[in-house]
Amino acid sequence: MMQIKPILAALKRHKAGTILIALQIALTLAIVCNALFIIHQRLDRVARPTGLDESNLMAISTRYVGMDDKDTGAAIRGDLAALRQLPGVEDVVSINSYPLRGGGWSTGVRVNVDDKKPKGHTTLYFSDEHTLATFGTRLVAGRNFQADEIGEADPKSVGDPAVVIISKALADKLYPDGTALGKPIYIGDTKKPSTVVGIVERLQVPWNGNWSDTFFENAIIEPFRLTGSFTNYLIRSKPGQLDALLKAAPAALYKVNRMRVIPSDRGVRTFAQVRERAYRADRGMAILMGVVCLVLLAITAAGIVGLTSFWVGQRRKQIGVRRALGATQHDILSYFLTENLLIGVGGVVVGAVLAIGMNLWLVTQFEMARLSVLYVLVGVVALLLLGQGAVLAPALRASRVSPVEATRSV
Amino acid sequence: MLKMTHLSKVYRTEVVETYALRDFNINVNEGEFVAVTGPSGSGKTTFLTIAGLLETFTGGQYHLDGVEVSNLNDNERSRIRNEKIGFIFQAFNLIPDLNVFDNVEVPLRYRGMKAPERKERIMNALDRVGLASRAKHYPAELSGGQQQRVAIARALAGSPRLLLADEPTGNLDTQMARGVMELLEEIHREGATIVMVTHDPELAARAQRNVHIIDGQVVDLAEDPRFHHAVHQARANSPA
Repeated sequence: MMQIKPILAALKRHKAGTILIALQIALTLAIVCNALFIIHQRLDRVARPTGLDESNLMAISTRYVGMDDKDTGAAIRGDLAALRQLPGVEDVVSINSYPLRGGGWSTGVRVNVDDKKPKGHTTLYFSDEHTLATFGTRLVAGRNFQADEIGEADPKSVGDPAVVIISKALADKLYPDGTALGKPIYIGDTKKPSTVVGIVERLQVPWNGNWSDTFFENAIIEPFRLTGSFTNYLIRSKPGQLDALLKAAPAALYKVNRMRVIPSDRGVRTFAQVRERAYRADRGMAILMGVVCLVLLAITAAGIVGLTSFWVGQRRKQIGVRRALGATQHDILSYFLTENLLIGVGGVVVGAVLAIGMNLWLVTQFEMARLSVLYVLVGVVALLLLGQGAVLAPALRASRVSPVEATRSV
Repeated sequence: MLKMTHLSKVYRTEVVETYALRDFNINVNEGEFVAVTGPSGSGKTTFLTIAGLLETFTGGQYHLDGVEVSNLNDNERSRIRNEKIGFIFQAFNLIPDLNVFDNVEVPLRYRGMKAPERKERIMNALDRVGLASRAKHYPAELSGGQQQRVAIARALAGSPRLLLADEPTGNLDTQMARGVMELLEEIHREGATIVMVTHDPELAARAQRNVHIIDGQVVDLAEDPRFHHAVHQARANSPA
């Protein structure tokens, strides 16, 4: 510490190198903080539970060919019956969408008929009384649908359901005092209420992008089986039976009716495949950001090593003079460590401001969340430690310069 | 003050051993001004670097201010250099990034001295060499003679027991050299022990005693009549 004043005086005379390395540290801190924040957000998103028994689920997407829409209701019932008879099947539903599928329906929900603005935003799942058993999701209040509450509906003209099951997150949003069960809700623009008869612990929306982050666990299950030529079947297997069903289920569907298309690429998928595809971009982004961070940190460390090595070489005689005047090896080591620390502190102060500024820009431009100060603090400590680590080898080399160097002519 | 007995310094490579100093004996008493002379490659600088604890020796004994230094570790040698020895180099060896004040302060900081004491010592030393008004100047803004005076101030600020000067006027013109030499003489008159390595017979003549080194050994001046003659002439021409 006793060397700070002369070190600062010396650094003033080497402004270019000092400012460049401080700026490099600042930029690295700003980028790494934000990148790590994005990585953390993405990994958090990937780790979000769907509320489904994922390990025993598979999905089949199928389209009838040459079938009139009015006949599809019966065809779907036939398919469901055939699938439920397969050995190893726990339960099956036909459903418009499911968590992480990527496409689905969403709408606003009001709690009073006269409300101008929705109180919450939600996704809509249309299915029957087999939904909860197929999802494997837990009912935390109320009851399941009864068979006589299930209707069939054309997707273009779905009516207002008398009863609905909703996710707990939506229940808490609509009725924060915990009294959603038995209460009315108004889905979309309707004036007809739907009564909440059941609340499930967790049910995620079909999307996983930024835009759905504010309502990612808000879901309503309406008691309608949608007709139409395009259908998704979600099949829950008994434990250990999923692999066998991957072949048996589409075969059973073809056996019921060959006039259908099950796409070869995404027609039959385990839920693990659904999840993998849904989060491919997030994982890719996390990996890319991670690589960018590592490369930046490596470049910064290399810059510090390079500059310090250059300065050690340039000041070899000066180090010898200092040693001749009584500096110990430790004094020389601490000189270079302190010098680097001072540059590093300058860099991280600017970097912290840049990191927050960069985040504010991302918040306004890309609806990102606000950067936690913790990331900046951790980044500051990490960058300073990286700097000290990087400077250690050249500083040790400097400390080993012999005092006799002072007598050598350049 | 400085006593070397049968001291040797050997540089070894895989194929050859070179004796820089061999059976080297010297005794410098407190308050003496000794000029060490000798031709290039004779071992003068090696003697000075060993005397100043800048490098170690191979054999023999070296007592500095009553302390046998051969077994001291690096930190102890640094401490002795800092507290007991003042160096004056031919190339001045000021730190170009620091101003005059900060340059003189370098050894005092390594001694862990408090700021007020450092400041007092620095200003006294600069006053003594006539450069107190240049405290904020950088070395590049000074003449060679002024730079060497700063180096002398740096050596004096720590109140060393021994001043080691390596060709202190070697990089200066005649007028500047004379000024620096007069300063060294003044410092000596005030009681400092000075060992000065020089090529210059005229400078050597102004010391109290001359020690001549040839091939790494101290020799009697009578064995080198040419140098003896040169010193004799210089003494005869000396204005003092």
